[in-house]
Amino acid sequence: MGEAQIAKKTLLGMVPADSPFYRFHPVGRMALLIFLSVTPLFIDMPEVNLGLILVTLGLLWWGRVRMQQVRRYLPLLVTVAIFMFGVAFLAPGNRTALTPIRSVGATFYFEPMWWAFVSYCRLIAMLFGAILYFSTNRERDTLVALRSLGVPFAVSYVAALSLRSAGMFMEDFKTIREAQQARGLDLESLSVVEKAKLYTMYTVPLFAVALRRADEISNALFAKGYTLSGRPAGGGRRTDYLRAQYPVRARDWAVSVGLVGAFALVAALSKTTGVFSDHLSPLRAVVVGMVAAR
Amino acid sequence: MRLAVEVERFSWRCPFAQRDALREVSLAIPAGEFTLVVGPNEAGKTTLMLAIKGIIPHSLAGRHDGTVRVFGEPVAQKNAAVLARQVGYVFGDPDAQFTALTVEEEILFGLENVGVPTSEIGARIRRASELTMISDLLDKPPYDISGGEKQRVAIASVLAMDPEILILDEPTSMIDPLGKDLIVDICGSLKRDRRMTVIVVEHNVEAFAPLADRVVLVRDGRIEREGAPRTFFDDVESLIDCGVYPPQVTQVFARLQRRGLYAGPLPLTDEEGVAAGTRLLQGAGRWR
Repeated sequence: MGEAQIAKKTLLGMVPADSPFYRFHPVGRMALLIFLSVTPLFIDMPEVNLGLILVTLGLLWWGRVRMQQVRRYLPLLVTVAIFMFGVAFLAPGNRTALTPIRSVGATFYFEPMWWAFVSYCRLIAMLFGAILYFSTNRERDTLVALRSLGVPFAVSYVAALSLRSAGMFMEDFKTIREAQQARGLDLESLSVVEKAKLYTMYTVPLFAVALRRADEISNALFAKGYTLSGRPAGGGRRTDYLRAQYPVRARDWAVSVGLVGAFALVAALSKTTGVFSDHLSPLRAVVVGMVAAR
Repeated sequence: MRLAVEVERFSWRCPFAQRDALREVSLAIPAGEFTLVVGPNEAGKTTLMLAIKGIIPHSLAGRHDGTVRVFGEPVAQKNAAVLARQVGYVFGDPDAQFTALTVEEEILFGLENVGVPTSEIGARIRRASELTMISDLLDKPPYDISGGEKQRVAIASVLAMDPEILILDEPTSMIDPLGKDLIVDICGSLKRDRRMTVIVVEHNVEAFAPLADRVVLVRDGRIEREGAPRTFFDDVESLIDCGVYPPQVTQVFARLQRRGLYAGPLPLTDEEGVAAGTRLLQGAGRWR
């Protein structure tokens, strides 16, 4: 089978087929996604979110994801940082109620900068959680997880079709752009305004192609006997070969329930006790002390 | 003789069209027969196939008269799952029919739709992928493979459903010569080993004519001519006028016939051509 057995093509790259992640059922991996990507929403304390980022990086390494693959996201991290801290610096809010910090010839305000840092840590933790999931899972894994959780076939199928359509949309976009370049369009020589106009023009052929594809897929679904109810002819339950290939063992349920339970616990503690509030952050205490000493 | 397909005075007009795409077409295809459908572009070949598959009138809006029957029952009265079991359809553009994210899922999608038991699905996937030589592609996305492989995946996904009738709409139009040979070989084995009713719409008649039991010419929404290949390709000139090019070897011997140099039956294959040529030269005393 060649490459197919050595490495799996995931949504964000290639991962060895013997990655330890594949010892777990897709449901367990989806529970991990929920834990790593949604939990930070309930955590303001940056140390905890930084800890989650380290855990995620550790899992990426453990899961044998190539770190070069992860390094591709560094420019994104820098861009998000520039944007978030830039906004906090340029538009800090009601300045009279804020604590000013004079540094490198400019005035910063502690509270918006701190909140930008808190939000940044949370966002990056969520992002790494998603990167881990999409780097180690294929579309099929997502489908199996959804179906194992009892999501109706039609819903999981529409989700899969959407994933496929996103890929097709990018392919169509590339084809149209290459056709324009083949007819002498030099993108390098265009100004930003001209490029913006060009991108608006892309919508017409892309829309036309999308309509045609929708028509074709509708005919193909009919040709393969698909009905909106998803039920086979003669009634009864639809067979699910894919799901049958991935039996959920007791261990998988234990992992999934454990992760979802941990997420629920964090959410409950955050809402009821405020234990993850940034005001309880030791780092904040240190920074506040440094600001006061200036 | 059991009829697989009966088309009776069938007409079809798309919404807002000026004229009918099909005009009172009548056609009967016996079960187990290999039919080659030829004709110029926009003649109505694909429309006729869509009507046999039931996509017309189930999925495409328009006005129709007449009846299309599959195994004696009108397709308009059959639902998608029943039609999927009886009539397999391979679209001209394989990309247009892929609905799943891997080749394996593409094949099993139809099987789940028609209610094939899970225990049987694995064996069906294996059989169809072996016949079409795509066993090593099962894990790959169908949009990430070559044109010839895509076409074979499309055929496998239909064959796995074990239909009684298989329609292939221009199956070699987007692939290289080697890929074409593979498709022709697959069609040959379907005819030889499975005795399946196969209908192929194709411009490349050279490859499919030797397999065909009958050739049908569609032109301007009508069936202009039909018959066994040997008689169908007899009138080479009028076929070329209609935009249909008989096999080259047939054309060469037709020219010889016109010049009075050859009087035998027109050959359809290269082998028949070599045999006829040998006889011709021996008769002229130029061959030892």
